[in-house]
Amino acid sequence: MRLADFIGGVAVLILGLAVIFFSSQLTYYSEFGPGPGFLPLWVGIIITACAIYVIVDLLKKHDKTGEFFKPRTRLGLQVFITIIISFLLLPLLGFAVGLALFIGVTMRMMGKHHWISCGLTAIVTAIGIHFIFISWLTIPLPRGLIGW
Amino acid sequence: MELLSNLYTGFSIALTLNNIIYCLVGVLFGQIVGVLPGIGAPTAIALLLPLTFKANPTSALIMFAGIYYGVAYGGTITSVLINVPGESSTVMTCLDGYQMALKGRAGAALSVACIGSWIAGTASIVLLMAFASALAKFALRFGPSEYFALTAMAFGLLTVFGGEQPIKTIISTMIGLLIATIGLDVVSGMPRFAFGVPQLLGGIDFIVIICGMFGVAEVFSSIEEPEEGELLKSKLHLRDLFLTWQDWIASRWAILRGGIIGFIVGIIPAGGITTASFLAYLAEKRASRHPERFGHGAIEGVAAPESANNAASISGFAPLLALGIPGSPTTAVMLAGFMMWGIRPGPMLFQKNPDLVWGLISSMYIGNFLLLLINIFLIPAFVAILRLPYTIIMGFIVIFASVGAYSVNNNFFDVWLMLGFAVLGYLMRKLQYPIVPLVLALVLGNLSENSFRQALTISGGSFSIFFTRPISLIFIIAAILAYLSPVIRWALKGLRHRTDRSPKLDSI
Repeated sequence: MRLADFIGGVAVLILGLAVIFFSSQLTYYSEFGPGPGFLPLWVGIIITACAIYVIVDLLKKHDKTGEFFKPRTRLGLQVFITIIISFLLLPLLGFAVGLALFIGVTMRMMGKHHWISCGLTAIVTAIGIHFIFISWLTIPLPRGLIGW
Repeated sequence: MELLSNLYTGFSIALTLNNIIYCLVGVLFGQIVGVLPGIGAPTAIALLLPLTFKANPTSALIMFAGIYYGVAYGGTITSVLINVPGESSTVMTCLDGYQMALKGRAGAALSVACIGSWIAGTASIVLLMAFASALAKFALRFGPSEYFALTAMAFGLLTVFGGEQPIKTIISTMIGLLIATIGLDVVSGMPRFAFGVPQLLGGIDFIVIICGMFGVAEVFSSIEEPEEGELLKSKLHLRDLFLTWQDWIASRWAILRGGIIGFIVGIIPAGGITTASFLAYLAEKRASRHPERFGHGAIEGVAAPESANNAASISGFAPLLALGIPGSPTTAVMLAGFMMWGIRPGPMLFQKNPDLVWGLISSMYIGNFLLLLINIFLIPAFVAILRLPYTIIMGFIVIFASVGAYSVNNNFFDVWLMLGFAVLGYLMRKLQYPIVPLVLALVLGNLSENSFRQALTISGGSFSIFFTRPISLIFIIAAILAYLSPVIRWALKGLRHRTDRSPKLDSI
């Protein structure tokens, strides 16, 4: 956890430095008052200072606080990957079918439900999304190749 | 008299069939969201926001307000029955509520929570009516320097209420401000941090960020560390819900004190309903003649935090409506709703849209009454919701979040961005960077920066404008004190440490 916190601190530090760099290219002060670069520059400076504090504070401490990876982190990662795959498929399948597939797969993956109940839930979800979002609320969601 | 005519205007709007239905849907939905762990009021409202684009703003806001205070009622059920808070605002209720349930007094605990909430809530609405219009009149005098000072104070107060690591709270606030600057700068018309990506020129939509950071990020956290508790097997009968005379005697002052504390904390920017319930519990314990009973099923320990969280959820509308400054993540999401409909809350709202203001406030009387009825007669139905498998709830969150993100600009870029913010939110939560400051800074960022620049343009670049106007000066001093609060706390700790040790030194 300490290592993860350290990496987090370094990431914040890099963010702070990047913000300082990019905002220094914007106008800091115009003739009418502070320019567009004024606030971002100070935000960058504060982020950098705070990140240094976090890192130094971590280096001083030696207590161990919990693990970053928990037993079920792997499951979370699997769901994350499933979401990515479903999102990639959305333009092809459309929202109704794509997200229904996501529900079916994650139910099987997480809950160990029977594949019939997963399939039924997926079908009900697809019908639900189609009629609630597309027909009733008329949100122009992509319908994919199937046209649903 | 003005109050009565406002009330009349309000009820003539809130009591239309359409708005009563919106109110009922809101409180029912709020109650359900409250029962379900892993989804809170800001998430629920953020997920529904994109779907209400075409709705009448007053009706939609009546529904959202219903969700907000409905959640405070619903979270109680899980706190009492399974010792898992459905909401962060009902954490304190677990301490005594679950103990009461173990002693077979679950009915009394739920009952005092909902009656206390109703009394404190209804009293808060009366206060809100008087206070909000007074605040709006007062705020008519605010110029850019006051608005900047006010937002600075709100950011500062986040570090007071933000938890153990104030530095991480500040980082989170700054990242929120930074995200708010993305896109075209309204004053100079120059693009900032868009890196040539056309979708970023208009800025990142608030809904996309909320759907990711509160919705999907919460899904990842819940999968990793599921909150499971065992439902007490005892059956609830209607007669269990009636309070005894002793219960009334024990909880009447707790309800009053909790209500007052809740109302005050709710008004403070960054206060919020969780802090309110926390402080009310501690105050009640301190005021009690038998503090040792707390944690072992004291009915005051349920009445006080429950009354406080409901009072705070209502008083939180005062700064939102009268100043346009949200004090909690939920009201921040509602502010995003106002922006979506093109309405600007603030002092002028009371003059331009009195129907909306008073209709919304009057609907709270109706909503709280509906919740009282729901919580007396329908508790078993909500207990049944607890048996819904988490995979289904999780799926719903992902569906609503992705549909919501897509519908903002009808493109996939926002859907991916939403997922990106979900990962950011998950990592921040894991590394103990609080998310609420980021969200509040994000909604207030533009107001803060623009008023800062306007103020300095008016003063010709002199910073004295912030210190010579009295209201602005008060806010600035409060902001500085708030930012210094970690240092002050640290110093006090050191001082106390020394006084603890001094008698020993004397004895040597």
